[in-house]
Amino acid sequence: MTTAPAETAFHIQEPLWKIRLRIAWKGLKQSWALFTENKIGLIGLGIILFFGLMALAHPILMHTVWEPNIYDPFIGNDPTILQHPSPPSARHLLGTDPVGRDVLSQLMYSTQSEFILGLLAALVTVTIATSVGAISAYFGGALDAFFMRLADLINILPFIALLVVLTAFFDFGMIELALLIGILSGFGGTTIIFKAQALTIKVKPYIEAAKVAGGSDLHIIFRHIVPNLMPLAFLNMMFTVTGAIFSEAALSFFGLLNLRMSWGIMINTTQAAGYLLGGWKYWYLIVPPGLAITLLCSAFYLVGRALDEVVNPRLRRR
Amino acid sequence: MLKYIANRLLQIVVTLFIFFALTYFILDAQPGDITLQYVNNPKFTKEQREALRRRLGLDKPAYVRFFQWMGNTLRGDLGESYQYRKPVMDVLLERAPRTIFLFLTATLIEFFVGYWLGRVLAWQRGTGLEYGITVVGAFFYTVFTPWFALMMIYLFGFTLKWFPIGKFLDVNLWRTAPKGLTANQIFINLLVTMTLLAVALVVVYYLTRRMNPYRASLIRWSALIGGAAIAVGYWAASPVAKYAGDILYHMALPIIVLTLINFSGTMLLTRTTMLETLREDYIMAARAKGLPERVVRDKHAARNAVLPVFTSLIISLPFILGGGIITETVFSWEGLGLTLLTASTTGDIPLVMGSFLFIGTLALLAHLVADVAYAFLDPRIRYA
Amino acid sequence: MAEKPLLSVRNLTMIYKTRKGPVSAIDDVSFDLKRGESLGLVGESGCGKTSVAMALLRLLPDNAQITGGQILLDGTDLTQLSEDEMQHVRWKRISMVFQAAMNALDPVYKVGDQIIEAIERHERDIDPAEARRRVEALFKLVGIDPKMADRYPHEFSGGMRQRAIIAMALACNPDLIIADEPTTALDVIVQDQVLRELRQVQKQMGMSMIYISHDIAVIAEVAERIAIMYAGRLCELADAVEIFKRPRHPYTVALMSAFPSIVGEKRPLVALGGEPPDLLFPPPGCRFHPRCPRALDICKQQQPPFEDIGGGHYLACWNPAPMVEVQS
Ligand SMILES: Nc1ncnc2c1ncn2[C@@H]1O[C@H](COP(=O)(O)OP(=O)(O)OP(=O)(O)O)[C@@H](O)[C@H]1O
Ligand code: SF4
Ligand SMILES: [Mg+2]
Repeated sequence: MTTAPAETAFHIQEPLWKIRLRIAWKGLKQSWALFTENKIGLIGLGIILFFGLMALAHPILMHTVWEPNIYDPFIGNDPTILQHPSPPSARHLLGTDPVGRDVLSQLMYSTQSEFILGLLAALVTVTIATSVGAISAYFGGALDAFFMRLADLINILPFIALLVVLTAFFDFGMIELALLIGILSGFGGTTIIFKAQALTIKVKPYIEAAKVAGGSDLHIIFRHIVPNLMPLAFLNMMFTVTGAIFSEAALSFFGLLNLRMSWGIMINTTQAAGYLLGGWKYWYLIVPPGLAITLLCSAFYLVGRALDEVVNPRLRRR
Repeated sequence: MLKYIANRLLQIVVTLFIFFALTYFILDAQPGDITLQYVNNPKFTKEQREALRRRLGLDKPAYVRFFQWMGNTLRGDLGESYQYRKPVMDVLLERAPRTIFLFLTATLIEFFVGYWLGRVLAWQRGTGLEYGITVVGAFFYTVFTPWFALMMIYLFGFTLKWFPIGKFLDVNLWRTAPKGLTANQIFINLLVTMTLLAVALVVVYYLTRRMNPYRASLIRWSALIGGAAIAVGYWAASPVAKYAGDILYHMALPIIVLTLINFSGTMLLTRTTMLETLREDYIMAARAKGLPERVVRDKHAARNAVLPVFTSLIISLPFILGGGIITETVFSWEGLGLTLLTASTTGDIPLVMGSFLFIGTLALLAHLVADVAYAFLDPRIRYA
Repeated sequence: MAEKPLLSVRNLTMIYKTRKGPVSAIDDVSFDLKRGESLGLVGESGCGKTSVAMALLRLLPDNAQITGGQILLDGTDLTQLSEDEMQHVRWKRISMVFQAAMNALDPVYKVGDQIIEAIERHERDIDPAEARRRVEALFKLVGIDPKMADRYPHEFSGGMRQRAIIAMALACNPDLIIADEPTTALDVIVQDQVLRELRQVQKQMGMSMIYISHDIAVIAEVAERIAIMYAGRLCELADAVEIFKRPRHPYTVALMSAFPSIVGEKRPLVALGGEPPDLLFPPPGCRFHPRCPRALDICKQQQPPFEDIGGGHYLACWNPAPMVEVQS
């Protein structure tokens, strides 16, 4: 990476970062072309965008059309309706819940936190897994053995059971849950995947070249190995988001999390108030949140699969 | 091979120990203890609470208690459930067969269906069918399970009334049961039947593995159907047929739901690994030998593609078992998962520990069994 | 000349359809192969040698398409056969030793069983014991301990795997064996052994062989006739001695000069500049013209015909190198 002499020698007007950016941009464009070939991935992306818009629209609606007293996701109540829950109407497109709160508003409000939860968990997972995977692969030896045994151990734990026990006995909110999921899956199975990939990068000639050029271990790991793990990381984030949203919903459904509102809580509220046994009649209490969880999870999963075909040339058609 | 198994066993024992320790200390670190439940109870004085703490051994340092607990556990004494006022071991031994039977059946069916569909899917690359099945598969793979289970109960239980709702048996029917007959006996006997059937099928598979795939698959299917017929016949003729039938009837919907939730993971992975396997040179070689497409697909591609799929099944076993908490809860199926959940929410620590331990041990054992089975599938490991 | 060739490839043309457009991997390739004859196919990496081999077996990837020409095996056009009929040609009539033979054995089956599988496919009612005996005989022939038939591929060394593949290719006594760089993965000594054995067995059993390599030294050892391929086309085809003595095509001349003459004659070294062309956008006219030292104007516009210039020496060039008779 001898940047300065190169610039003077070839009279390159553009600064290096611009060139890097252009190369990255070109790579992105190619990947995008590959990605768009896969209709399934586009469907997923569409769904994610839809939910993203929902999350953004909520605060706007609350400030404009929606009367806060009526539509607040926590304390709203519509006095003009006598009996709650009430089925969908023009005022409440998805009806109201047993306490009289607007279901649509709750649904949209929760979308924000689902995104935050999912992305935070994914970020933590991937950060841990890339660093640990790269370090394990690069140094090998005892360090590697330790991290791999740890990953095996975490892999064997019944994940959901562990979450149930932990959340039942400790006070967990959204952030804590995201961190926990991120740490568990980051040190767990994900690491193994990343290490395997890092091993294939480690033997590439440019790593050797960097070593000969006197690059320090850390420099090689974070400048050369980690960047090459990025596509895999990006792909893996999608799957982690799915897992995180699912876990949150399941734990909320059991009433184990300390949250004010989420899709899982909406189902939990319905259950706690005894409307689950009412069958189809109260569909508007259970179908929207359930479907939302499912759709968003599928969407991230589908995008992940499509990315897999971009990243993994062995899956491509030609 | 024996060395391999011994190695795995050792690994499992070490893992179990770490697992136990982890469980113990995590729960030990939770704020307060059981005696806090009585803080607001005016009948309980502080002294009485202290006495209770001493009786429960809560005054000793954590590591002492851990080794005591460990020793007791190894002797099969998991303490007494606060909730049921009887030994945790008894509670769990009663519930474990239900969980094992449900999940063993569901996992076997799931794997079989997923693998079969995935194989078809890989061969249909680029067709509309492939897109359709992939999208549906992704839906099932990521569907919010409690919600999906509820929807299924609404549909098949409430609306269509095809299947019973909740519980694992019909209480009214069982009132008339002969004295001494417990549901557990039936669960255990069903488990034994199924294990025998599974072993028989594995033997048939092994014996036919080198045959021409057409003949092999014919023999395998007849063995499956024949074996199932014999098992059903045996149970139908037994005096407790009515009761076993009742249990199976209650189990049908949970199994359908579990299969639907889990098959797609196997299916989608089988497709992926099949597509990767198809690029291998030995597949080209098999084609070059003039083998028919079906033989190339089933005998060579699918046989190799099953290896990573099986590995992933091994990895997901603990997850499937843990996920059982959800299914068991929604179906009020009183197995280990539901026990863990209720014990957790009521603060019944000995029972939490016990059921967590059971689930973990089960997961580990399933892991071990699957590992050994894998070694039989892959000669590179078998003869390593 | 009078004898009817076993294999006659006529104007074979094949493309790979890719995202960027069609890759013209085989263009207008014609050659004959007599019974018992061994033909060497030489060319740089990526010139389409493997594609020719795969086209003969019709084992092409999904995106490949034969757009013209015929492959006549004993007068039957293979390009017209149904997939089912083609399966009976594979291995029974034409077998192949793969370029990546190291990985051509299925890891989960015993090596012997994989050979028996091929035998049983083409000889339906063969007695299993007979098939087994044949495998053992083949193993002996290629120099592997017959007991190894009950081992799995991962227990074989690279050289043994290669030999096992050769044994497999011989199993059904085919009319033609295609060997696609079968020795590239081996070290030089083993390479030489395997090569010699292959040649010996082929002669012994009277099969025809197409031997593919980018290494003309290797070809010189095994082939009676040699075809030179460049960028999807044949440029020259003649008896081995003829090619070495009197190369006419500028590309052949360049190849030969890079190779220390086996006939002792010193030739001026011809350096080839430039890169082989991208087959997505092959140059018009003669595909060699951008690198050709003898290129004329016509070369850039018109494709030279691939014609017999006498005595079974085929050539495609507008301005061939002068005939320099080499005394031997
Ligand atoms: N499946 C494919 N799709 C697109 N292009 C392909 C495909 N397979 C081969 N090609 C292209 O066709 C050309 C010929 O490839 P081929 O494998 O026949 O070359 P080769 O002469 O055997 O080379 P080598 O000596 O490296 O084996 C190459 O340019 C290659 O890039
Ligand atoms: S045709 Fe022309 S360009 Fe081609 S090889 Fe002959 S002289 Fe060279
Ligand atoms: Mg090749």
